[in-house]
Amino acid sequence: MNPYLEGLRGIQPEIVMTITALAALVFDLLLKGRESRRVGYLTLTGLALTSWFLLGQWSEAAPRTVFGMVAVDQFGNFFKLFTVAALAMVVLLVMHDHREREHGVGEYYFLLLGASLGIFFMVSTNNLLLMVLGFELLSLASYSLAGFHKGDRKSAEAAMKYVIFGGLATGIMLYGISLLYGLTGTIDLAKMGASDGGLVAQLAQSPVPVGIAMVLILAGFAYKVSVAPFHFWTPDVYEGAPTPVTTFLAVGSKAAGFGVMLRFLGAIFLRPGVADSVAAYGDRIGLLLAILAAITMTLGNFAALRQSSLKRMLAYSSIAHAGYVLIGVSCMTEAGFSAALYYLAAYYFMNLGAFGFLLYFEGVNGNDSVDSLKGMGFKAPLISIVMVAFLVSLTGLPPTVGFYGKYLLFVEGVNQGLYWLVVVAALNSVVSLFYYLRVAKALFLAKPADREAAPAPVLTGFVTAFGVATVGLGIYITPLRAWAERSLDVLRG
Amino acid sequence: MQDQILTWITFLPLLGMGLILLIPKTSLNLIKGVSLAATFVPMVLSTWLYFGGFKHLTPGDFDQARMAGDILASQFVQRVPWIDSIGVEYYVGVDGLSIALVWLTTILLFIGVIASFGMEKAGKAYYALLLMLEVGISGVFVSLDLFLFYVFWEIMLLPMYFLIGIWGGPRREYAAIKFFLYTLAGSVLMLIAIVALRLDSGTFSIPKLTELAAQGKLLGANLPAAGELLGMKFTTWVFWFLFVGFAIKVPVFPFHTWLPDAHVEAPTPISVILAGILLKLGGYGMLRACFPFAPSAFHEFAYVLAILGVISIVYGAFVALGQTDFKKMVAYSSVSHMGYVLLGMGAFTVWGMEGAVLQMFNHGTSSAALFLIVGVIYDRAHHRDLNAFGGMSQIMPRYWALTTLGFFAALGLPGLAGFVSEALTLIGAYQAGDARFRTLVFISLLGVVFTAAFLLWAMQRVFLGQKNPKYLDFEEINFRELVCQAPLLFLCILFGILPAYLLDWMHPSVQNLLAILGGKA
Repeated sequence: MNPYLEGLRGIQPEIVMTITALAALVFDLLLKGRESRRVGYLTLTGLALTSWFLLGQWSEAAPRTVFGMVAVDQFGNFFKLFTVAALAMVVLLVMHDHREREHGVGEYYFLLLGASLGIFFMVSTNNLLLMVLGFELLSLASYSLAGFHKGDRKSAEAAMKYVIFGGLATGIMLYGISLLYGLTGTIDLAKMGASDGGLVAQLAQSPVPVGIAMVLILAGFAYKVSVAPFHFWTPDVYEGAPTPVTTFLAVGSKAAGFGVMLRFLGAIFLRPGVADSVAAYGDRIGLLLAILAAITMTLGNFAALRQSSLKRMLAYSSIAHAGYVLIGVSCMTEAGFSAALYYLAAYYFMNLGAFGFLLYFEGVNGNDSVDSLKGMGFKAPLISIVMVAFLVSLTGLPPTVGFYGKYLLFVEGVNQGLYWLVVVAALNSVVSLFYYLRVAKALFLAKPADREAAPAPVLTGFVTAFGVATVGLGIYITPLRAWAERSLDVLRG
Repeated sequence: MQDQILTWITFLPLLGMGLILLIPKTSLNLIKGVSLAATFVPMVLSTWLYFGGFKHLTPGDFDQARMAGDILASQFVQRVPWIDSIGVEYYVGVDGLSIALVWLTTILLFIGVIASFGMEKAGKAYYALLLMLEVGISGVFVSLDLFLFYVFWEIMLLPMYFLIGIWGGPRREYAAIKFFLYTLAGSVLMLIAIVALRLDSGTFSIPKLTELAAQGKLLGANLPAAGELLGMKFTTWVFWFLFVGFAIKVPVFPFHTWLPDAHVEAPTPISVILAGILLKLGGYGMLRACFPFAPSAFHEFAYVLAILGVISIVYGAFVALGQTDFKKMVAYSSVSHMGYVLLGMGAFTVWGMEGAVLQMFNHGTSSAALFLIVGVIYDRAHHRDLNAFGGMSQIMPRYWALTTLGFFAALGLPGLAGFVSEALTLIGAYQAGDARFRTLVFISLLGVVFTAAFLLWAMQRVFLGQKNPKYLDFEEINFRELVCQAPLLFLCILFGILPAYLLDWMHPSVQNLLAILGGKA
């Protein structure tokens, strides 16, 4: 076949996504602000089509690279499917957010789709240049999304903070990448760690320059997934941004950040036939990440203890969860990466559900404080009971998907001898129980509230479906785990 | 049916819970009926299991079972793969250690449901949570797969949190979260130990792990730093991680502080279940999933365990002496009584070990009866101040008679159940043949004296002396309250006279356990 056509076949999902984004923008103009829900349906249709192509690629056996840049493989596919699923939920949230009628909905969907397109490219390439491009596309779209409520001071502040922090982090990362390029003479990750690659020669001379480059690059990734000490933007941006955007940042964008991190580390250090000196160097980076993991989860959990806003609490909790995922990354083994992937998938279900709950009660109460939930569990029983399931899963108790995720992380941690990290993580889940239970306590342990909660059947339906998945996938574990395992085929070469 | 009987016992309450969720909350009588049925049937099944189905094994049977790969010689085994990729099975069975506790669980939950009928606030959610609690408890007792064991262990926490937190007393929120945090702190440590065991051995099967440990093949060199970690043997780390998780549940001094709070705030039926069975999970867990996995560490620290047990006995009784709250007094008496369990296990003699297992059962009946007794008077007076009553024996003579029986069972009067188990543990500890253990026995006798003191003193303050004119119109104990208490007190008398009806069931498995742990059986 014509290699050009073959290449286009490889990026079918991306093409569909781009068309959808443009169509959403135009369609909204044609509708002139009336019936804006239709744009949402259009976006959902586009996403369905995208995932159809993605699933088609999923069953293809051999990973390949098209246009010399885009890697079509299961690993990228995992994160793309993940992003599409997250985005679809976010779109549904946007359609049921009472505040969104006032704003230009076409741009909203356009920006969300643009951000997702960035994710698509950044997770499916071994080429540092394309990785940075995707990274920037995601970031720029996210900045605008964070400030989408133009009249809202908090939203504007969030966007500003995000831009400044993001600009700095990207700059640092680019500097690291340019160093790495200078040291190794290539921007192809696959070639760096090979036994005849530039990295081996550099490490033989001195590990310091490589170390500086690595730390700078990892700092850029750490910012995206809000790992301490690059997490400072997270609470403010999450709180100020519209709730559906927060959901997207907390789930889609964070997972993508981990996707890039895993591919970067995996392609250099875990490739079959990697030189010994490079693999040994990877272990040292693993130790650095383990220390960051411990700091991140402890900091996130202790900061979450003091929050009175549910949204901010979930922001800090998402920092803590980044710390948990980092356990798997820091093992620097295939099993560790697979555990991290599984945990991200678990995180998707429980966190999207929790954000759906948040959005519902923002509509009911007009604010996001935990206190305003007092006694509401008796007024909206279904969604509140389901929320308890999410809280249980976020804490990591069985029989939920979150427990199994944590279990897999612990297994690989113990297997790699990171006992201290596993103990820190275990104690952290006790701390996290305290603030998660505050929500359950407000809902059910107070006297029934004297206000009524307006029913929102569709939103409640989504959230309940996620609750069923959170518990169901905690009992029937095999499919999700098989999926995470399969995604790592690309590492086996 | 017989192969699946344990599954039915465990999951029938879950079925009941599902049904209750479908019933509208206004049909309270239907909800009560379903809860009653969903606890009654498992009770009938487990009673049959205890008296009919369960075979008394001979040493020959144990040898055979060992050859067949089940060192515990469990009966009514059901084994189905659950999570293939990591080798988790749905693997259940009972042996002499667990059978009595399964029976006790089903009895106490049934009584708990009847006792709940007196609570006005108890509705749909309450009964649903109560049934979910039963699933967790029964599940722990029948699990033979460590992963499954842990899952059931954690399933209990949430219903208990809500049962105390929603239907409890004035400080219920504090008590509920304290209970949850303490237990979780212990169980996350357990999880780490479980992960280590699994990675080392490649199996979650409790019999298999027990066998490997007995052969000295567990926690060998399959893990990084498996030899020593921070100056402590790896086996010892695993032992303590598991032990602390279970000790919090027992609760052993110094992990006991959640118990008085939880008991005082919990509604009566929940206190009954908490004291009656939840505490036994700790003791049972040690015998099932702590000592057998690290026998060397157990022998090394047996004396420390015995000391902790004695501290619990004496300290618990002493603190109970100082209480003015009736329920808090009974709660501390639980700390004291559960101390015997640890002392008996630490002594590591046949009598000590049997006494410990027997004490778990007997405390289950007597402490449950005591909490019901407290509930009766609290429902009438709406306070529990021991000093504010007086002369109740003349106002409620039948209630007084039952209370006397319950108190005597708790303080270990010969002829009642508590005496047998306490005597066994103390004799067992004495037999350990060691001056150190003998000293402990003498110290723990102090606890016996304190126990008699606080119970008799409470009896005197509440029931004897001048009638308090405020309480003259109290009605006598009613039929529902009687129905709850009578079976428990009956069991106290029955097993006081015929302890063989418990001991014969336990004896083969206890012998087997001692042999596995490599002792003086």
